[in-house]
Amino acid sequence: MLVSDIKSRPVYERLGVDASGRRHLVVSDAPRPLAEVIDGADSAAAPLGYWVVAATSAVDAQPQAEPATGNAVPLERRAFRAVPHLLDRLSHRLAQETVGFRLYAVGEEGFVWNVAKLAREAGLEAAECRTAHAGSLRRRVFCVHCKTITEDVTTSLAACDGCGAHLVVRDHFSRHLAAFMGVQADAEAPGELPPVEELFP
Amino acid sequence: MTIQFKPDETFRDEFSYSNSDAAVLRFPFPFPEDAYMYSVNIEPHVRGGPSPAFDNPFDVDEHYVAECRERAKVLEQDPSRCKVLPHMMAAEWDTLELIMESFATSYPEHFTLTRDGTSWTWENRPLGIRDSFTFGDASTLPLPPFEYITRQAQGDFTLQDQREDNLFVDGGMVTTQADWSLDFDVGMTFHQWHGPVPLAHQKGVFDRALKFLLRLQYGAPVRRLNWTMTVNPRLDTSPENYPQWGPDRLTLTPENIGRKLHLRVELQSLFRLPRSNAILFGIRCYLCSIEDLARVGVWGKRLHRVLRDLHPEIADYKGTTRYRDMAVAYLAPFDDGAELPAGTAPRQSTLAPRS
Repeated sequence: MLVSDIKSRPVYERLGVDASGRRHLVVSDAPRPLAEVIDGADSAAAPLGYWVVAATSAVDAQPQAEPATGNAVPLERRAFRAVPHLLDRLSHRLAQETVGFRLYAVGEEGFVWNVAKLAREAGLEAAECRTAHAGSLRRRVFCVHCKTITEDVTTSLAACDGCGAHLVVRDHFSRHLAAFMGVQADAEAPGELPPVEELFP
Repeated sequence: MTIQFKPDETFRDEFSYSNSDAAVLRFPFPFPEDAYMYSVNIEPHVRGGPSPAFDNPFDVDEHYVAECRERAKVLEQDPSRCKVLPHMMAAEWDTLELIMESFATSYPEHFTLTRDGTSWTWENRPLGIRDSFTFGDASTLPLPPFEYITRQAQGDFTLQDQREDNLFVDGGMVTTQADWSLDFDVGMTFHQWHGPVPLAHQKGVFDRALKFLLRLQYGAPVRRLNWTMTVNPRLDTSPENYPQWGPDRLTLTPENIGRKLHLRVELQSLFRLPRSNAILFGIRCYLCSIEDLARVGVWGKRLHRVLRDLHPEIADYKGTTRYRDMAVAYLAPFDDGAELPAGTAPRQSTLAPRS
């Protein structure tokens, strides 16, 4: 049951600006045109920020305000050096936010659910933080035996970074851990392993 | 009536666990018909029914002391088998009160609860525990209230918080489970933690069950039975320890399968809690070898038919693929094909000796 209809696997819809929000922040784990990741940004009735991971030390996360044209609201862009850099800045922002804030995360699953976890810990309701998938399908895999998370798994079987067990990547996803479950594939008959398939490019 | 406990039986290593004849006859056999399919088989959790296991809110039987010892061993290895999210403290106290009150009422010869306002004294004689504490003040107990009391009860427990028209599994004590992980599932919604179950989603079973449970009333608990099969009388068939118990499935032979293969029945009970409005979910596990089950005429026949005709996807999910044919072959001689009455009662009061 590697790719199945297990109901814990998130199903994503395209993001749209929530008209009830009073401040919006979109975060992306790669530079993408804003119109590509969310609908309604150009007609939003409230200030909107767009933070992206540029994956280079040449950026400094300084806010870049774009002049608003016509009736449009201000758009503030920031570029971050890496995902942890963005998440660290985001946790400070979340600590200051109040009612009316809307957060949107787009990117690989590990990223968007780490953002969702920060949002939950900061007290946002589930509907106030929306997620969408973009980029690689590779998975973060939580080893149920030793609790290690192995990153960037693209295949049906993966060796655990912690205990070395050959894990079959179950289609069961934990939003708390932002990871899929990995279970030893040959626990019943050691060495009896199914063929490895590239499933999550 | 005083229960004769068997404190030294084990659920690992040499597997000295066994059922007395009386324990076999009170086994909550889960198959009222010859065929099995998922359903919302929920009924009021009231006294009575085909097995004395249904007579009390929380059933205590001859395995009580040994099961509490087994739980302590698992927690020593892996304390994360007990996890409760911080916002569930009211539900922790609700659980402690419910289990203590129930045990003391159902089994006064073994348990006593003395309440004087918030000054409570709890005596658990089978485990040699006597503690006085202030209800509502966790610093007066040696352990957090949920862990304290569920270490003294048979079966697993989870706590469901109700919000956003959903149930979230926001805590639990899970050491005797049929291959699911609390550490992985904690915080999930109802549909998420049932994600891996095949077929039932498509049948709308979980939609209907959730709707029903959201309306569960205080004082009107409900129950259902679930089942699977386990090689050896092992309580801890967790995904965490799958590398330890998985190889057991390859040890079955036509000669030993009667003794080694166990029907594992979960008596699941659901209680609305008064202060927290959370739901306590009890998952009480009963194990009986298929050899002992076949000593009850109607059970041996029915188990043969259910296993023989089981939907392949369910058979696979329950982990029976490697040995199902062998189990069916073992049970076939007990089944003369006669029509069986509906229901699960054993319809006999003594057992034939083991062959």
